[in-house]
Amino acid sequence: MSMSDRLDPAALKKRLKALEAQAKEAQCTIDELKSRDSLKTQFLSNISHDLRTPLAAIITHAEILRDGMLGELNTKQRESVRGIVNGGQQLLDMIDEILTYVRSEGDQIKLTRAEFSIAEVVDQVRMLNQPLAAKKHLTIERLNGDDLPPVYADRDKLRHVLGNLIGNAIKFTQAGGRIWIGFSLRGGNGEELLVEVGDTGQGIAREHHELVFREFAQVDASPSRPHHGTGLGLTIARKLVELHDGTIWVDSELGKGSRFFFTVPLDARRE
Amino acid sequence: MAARILIVEDSTLVTDAFQILFTETGYEVEVAATVADAIDRGTENTADIMLLDLTLPDGNGLEVLEALRQRGASPRATLAMTGHVDAKTRRECLDAGCADVLVKPLPIGDLLRHIQRHLS
Repeated sequence: MSMSDRLDPAALKKRLKALEAQAKEAQCTIDELKSRDSLKTQFLSNISHDLRTPLAAIITHAEILRDGMLGELNTKQRESVRGIVNGGQQLLDMIDEILTYVRSEGDQIKLTRAEFSIAEVVDQVRMLNQPLAAKKHLTIERLNGDDLPPVYADRDKLRHVLGNLIGNAIKFTQAGGRIWIGFSLRGGNGEELLVEVGDTGQGIAREHHELVFREFAQVDASPSRPHHGTGLGLTIARKLVELHDGTIWVDSELGKGSRFFFTVPLDARRE
Repeated sequence: MAARILIVEDSTLVTDAFQILFTETGYEVEVAATVADAIDRGTENTADIMLLDLTLPDGNGLEVLEALRQRGASPRATLAMTGHVDAKTRRECLDAGCADVLVKPLPIGDLLRHIQRHLS
């Protein structure tokens, strides 16, 4: 734009009109994208619901066979039917993860707060994951936390977050490795609880630290990747932590293990 | 006499599987796919246990409970079955008179234990 253009009212008016048209167009695009996004979310929700029902039937039928209710199976038959049950269960977990994600996107998740010991929840999640960890000769230990003040939070949601972080640690740590959970109080008056879930696993390159929390994102997204999943676990974990007004992040280097951290405010008031 | 289970669920895929499960474990089984159907069957033959899906083609499953109560045909225990349970849904079910709220699908061993517990 030249000096004379800038001073010419007619040119300015024309320019303003053009900008207004552009802004309008941009708004249309935004609206269109928003509506497409919400359609996609609705589709994801519907399809996940609809996938669940036949899958539930398949699992139930397979369990009936597995438990010998329709006659004893030989060892090979039982192994095969067990495969159907386990595969079905894994698929169901993935569908549920998608549904949780859709609900969290639609702000349909509400917290039900109560006072509880977070160390106790960690121990429950550890116990639940013990068989899986034992298979890979991994140890899961809780470093401290017996004398922590109780948190006022949603127990199920924080259990979900811990389950996800510990599950990931198991998935991405080589046999013989170590997983730990530790706590510390932060802030002048200890108004925030910092929870750490660490492992000696493969680690995450610095440029991928944000990516791992992004929906559907996986560091290795190739079809041949060794670890499969929806790519939603950490997105959901972040959402659940943020609903508690906390933050979640990772500190890691490739080949040097990962340390995931999240905070839970301790000054949350009872409603 | 065998205890009677009324399955209220609109997916035949699911009810077929349950029918095998409960028949093989010695229960008498009846199936209803809608609220109206459930009220009819539940009134005709009072069930010992009602497994109740919450979303039915003609309404909310919890309507069945109230209708059966008015007809003096409440089952001994009603177990709500839902794909997703939050605190609000749980409360609604318990307030409506359900003995328990189960997230489906649950392992058949767990389901059978729940039923036995409510029968004893």
